[in-house]
Amino acid sequence: MVEFTLDGARVSAPEGELLVHAAARHGTFIPTLCHDEKLDPYGGCRMCLVDLEGAPRPVPACAQRVREGMVVSTNGETGALRRTLTEMLLAEHLSPNPGGRPNELTDLAEELGAQAPFLLPDAAREPYEDRNRLMGYDPGACILCNRCVRYTQEVMQCSALVFEGRGAEARVVPTHGHSWLDTECELCGGCLSVCPTGAIHEQFLGGSPAGHERALRKTKTTCTFCGVGCQIDLNVDPETKRIVKVTSDPSYVSNEGNLCVKGRFAFNFVHHPDRLTRPLVRGDDGKLHPASWDEALSLAAAGMNGVKERHGAQSIGLLASARLTNEENYLLQKLARGVIGTNSIHSCEAT
Amino acid sequence: MGRGASTNSIPEIEDCRFLLVIGSNTTEAHPVLALRMKKAVRKGAMLVVCDPRKIWLTKIAKRHLQLRPGSDVWLINAMMHVIFAEGLQDDAYIAEHTEGVEMVREIVSRYTPEAAEAVTGVPAEDIRATAREYASERHAAIFYTLGITEHACAVDNIWSLSNLVLATGHLGYESTGLNALRGQNNVQGLNDSGANPAYYPGYQAAEDPEVLRKFSEAWGGVELTETPGYRLDQILSGLYDGRVKALYLVGENPGHTEPNAKHAAEGFEQLEFLVAQDLFLNELTEKYADVVFPASSFAEKDGTFTNTERRINRVRAGVPCPGEARVDRDIVVSFARALGADWPEYPDAESVWNEFADLSPNWNGVRYDRLQETGLQWPCVDRDDPGTRFLHAPRPARPNGRGKLWPVEYQPPIELPDAEYPLTLSTGRTLYHYNSATMTMREAGITDKQEDPFFEISVEDASALGLSEGDWARLVSRRGDLEARARISDRVYPGLVWMALHFAQAKVNWLTHDVGDPLIGTPEYKVSAVRVERASR
Repeated sequence: MVEFTLDGARVSAPEGELLVHAAARHGTFIPTLCHDEKLDPYGGCRMCLVDLEGAPRPVPACAQRVREGMVVSTNGETGALRRTLTEMLLAEHLSPNPGGRPNELTDLAEELGAQAPFLLPDAAREPYEDRNRLMGYDPGACILCNRCVRYTQEVMQCSALVFEGRGAEARVVPTHGHSWLDTECELCGGCLSVCPTGAIHEQFLGGSPAGHERALRKTKTTCTFCGVGCQIDLNVDPETKRIVKVTSDPSYVSNEGNLCVKGRFAFNFVHHPDRLTRPLVRGDDGKLHPASWDEALSLAAAGMNGVKERHGAQSIGLLASARLTNEENYLLQKLARGVIGTNSIHSCEAT
Repeated sequence: MGRGASTNSIPEIEDCRFLLVIGSNTTEAHPVLALRMKKAVRKGAMLVVCDPRKIWLTKIAKRHLQLRPGSDVWLINAMMHVIFAEGLQDDAYIAEHTEGVEMVREIVSRYTPEAAEAVTGVPAEDIRATAREYASERHAAIFYTLGITEHACAVDNIWSLSNLVLATGHLGYESTGLNALRGQNNVQGLNDSGANPAYYPGYQAAEDPEVLRKFSEAWGGVELTETPGYRLDQILSGLYDGRVKALYLVGENPGHTEPNAKHAAEGFEQLEFLVAQDLFLNELTEKYADVVFPASSFAEKDGTFTNTERRINRVRAGVPCPGEARVDRDIVVSFARALGADWPEYPDAESVWNEFADLSPNWNGVRYDRLQETGLQWPCVDRDDPGTRFLHAPRPARPNGRGKLWPVEYQPPIELPDAEYPLTLSTGRTLYHYNSATMTMREAGITDKQEDPFFEISVEDASALGLSEGDWARLVSRRGDLEARARISDRVYPGLVWMALHFAQAKVNWLTHDVGDPLIGTPEYKVSAVRVERASR
């Protein structure tokens, strides 16, 4: 642990902790835009500048590690710079809400009372179209914080996205100007999960919920694909009762807010028109026909009991599934053993 | 070692100093877990990948041991050979915590790295170097998946890895151990909760009279059979020989996922009665089911899944079931009642969980009110137990406290290439789809990336056949044939082709054979013999 002075108060923090985190633990919230705990310190947006005694110029709290005896001031003149910096970003920021995602820049502007003094005449960057149908990018909302590109490089360790152009023309593009579908990109959507302004955002095949972002109801649950057990939030439109998107949170233990392409984007099967919505029973014509639950259950029971009477319980097998919950699998083996009278319950996941 | 589960936890991976990934294409099958491996490498860990294919992880690996499919026992025994020959084993751990080391030491003395090179194709020096690095790093962990278990010698493969871990004492503390990465969301929980012919819930043996007495009492005095149940492979072969006459099939698609799948599907013809419960109809249920119950997806139900690190996580309903579909819990309870059972009310998933946890000692402390934020890792024996991050501490979890080493000899795969079928076919998954892909093939944004069936073939084999990238070709085995597009790359070596199992119109399991492990019946999806022909289209 080291001790240092933060806005006149003596505080302590583990040696090597980033100043922005140490300050937050002591109740001093220094705004950031380019910072992400998943990524290496970057210090790009300068929103977190603080005064450090003895330093020739203000330093970014997101890239400064705490040191014994350092004297930090977050509320001096430098703090006022934040409003100016925010206004400069707003002057280039044409699309406040693409894809309906939350926007950390406009939130910050509201907090600081900052407004765009004017819009820069050359602020409109060349729009970017991509033939993938999962993610979109709106250069007009991009503040070039580099979180997306750093995510691909540091977390995914692939070269999916790069900066292109300079100055007012700069924007983020898939490597070599290919489509997202043709680069190393694995379509995990990690780039959009770290984007502070929603410049990279989900595309919504089932219609855009733009503007309703904050009205979506989140349900925390466990992903249904592989065995990692990523914790996810189903974002459900309360009116249509459909999943609009899937998000996660860095605080979730097993996956730290990261997801893969399936976890983030493969939820539309839930609402697919091919879903079975009524019980089916096979008719005399050899085809399956809709039936009531009572009818289907009593037919199923009669069929099973008939086989049991003719051939014994051992002639009945059950195949359970890793798709099911623990509770459902427990009930299935209870049904096999305690009701039908056989131990023949297994699954296709014998491995 | 005494537990069928990963020994260590996902967050610990990033602090491993040495990672041996064998038979696991982690970035595609467990992409988010692979991020921890990437992080470990970024923090300076050494990664060695053992895989017949040049998978993504080889890009950041220090070394790729490109072994031939099915030669794992040779590779691991040769590593053990080096460890014993150079005195790198952990003698103190062996003496205090293991048994059976002498027989293993004797057998591996015959598995020299030079002889291993001839069988596995891995240079002897690479085997030596890997053995030394693994043995001398304290935080060394092994990760494996179906590349180890989908063989006729599955049990031998796992024994050989377990021997390696025990001989080096890499067990019972952080960032080490032997970690089976579970392929499906709840395959761990499926076994934990007793959907297994050999075990009642909580791995309590189905042949133990004491267990039967306990469950009979808990379930209202029902009589419980002592007759051993059939495993999956026995159920499927039972369709043919008439031992199995009726089946209750829940959320499974064996006409796609089973080896020699056409044969498996045709067995359903013989059934007298089939009840199916699923989200979608598939070819099998459409043709053979007598009754189909419309079931619920994960997004529509409450309950728990258990992940690969034994963590019990909550599942929570976010949307209602479509139409008259019902949550599976309600369906099973209604079906039990229709069959005449006098079951208690199960008003919610928690009431079912509590019954399971009351009966299963290692889950006894896991209760819903403790699962709100982060879940709990079993074993967790009472409410004060914080759960278990890593197993086998301070000693292996066998009754006598000693991990058992067991000598294994190499058995060649069942079907090796020959003049008529000159190529080895191995199978697996891709990042973009999931098993029989009834879910992911319904995602337009994902099929944009990968829709047509494809197989991987080496540059050498492709040019000998006159195949160009993207050409359609026919793959033929003794069981069947299919057409897929050629993807030509150096991911596979000459003589090996690889295909994913996801494609309904070209099911790779039409090609695979169904001779599995003699003890546990796991099929040898990873090695079949095929030939490739140019297709006319």
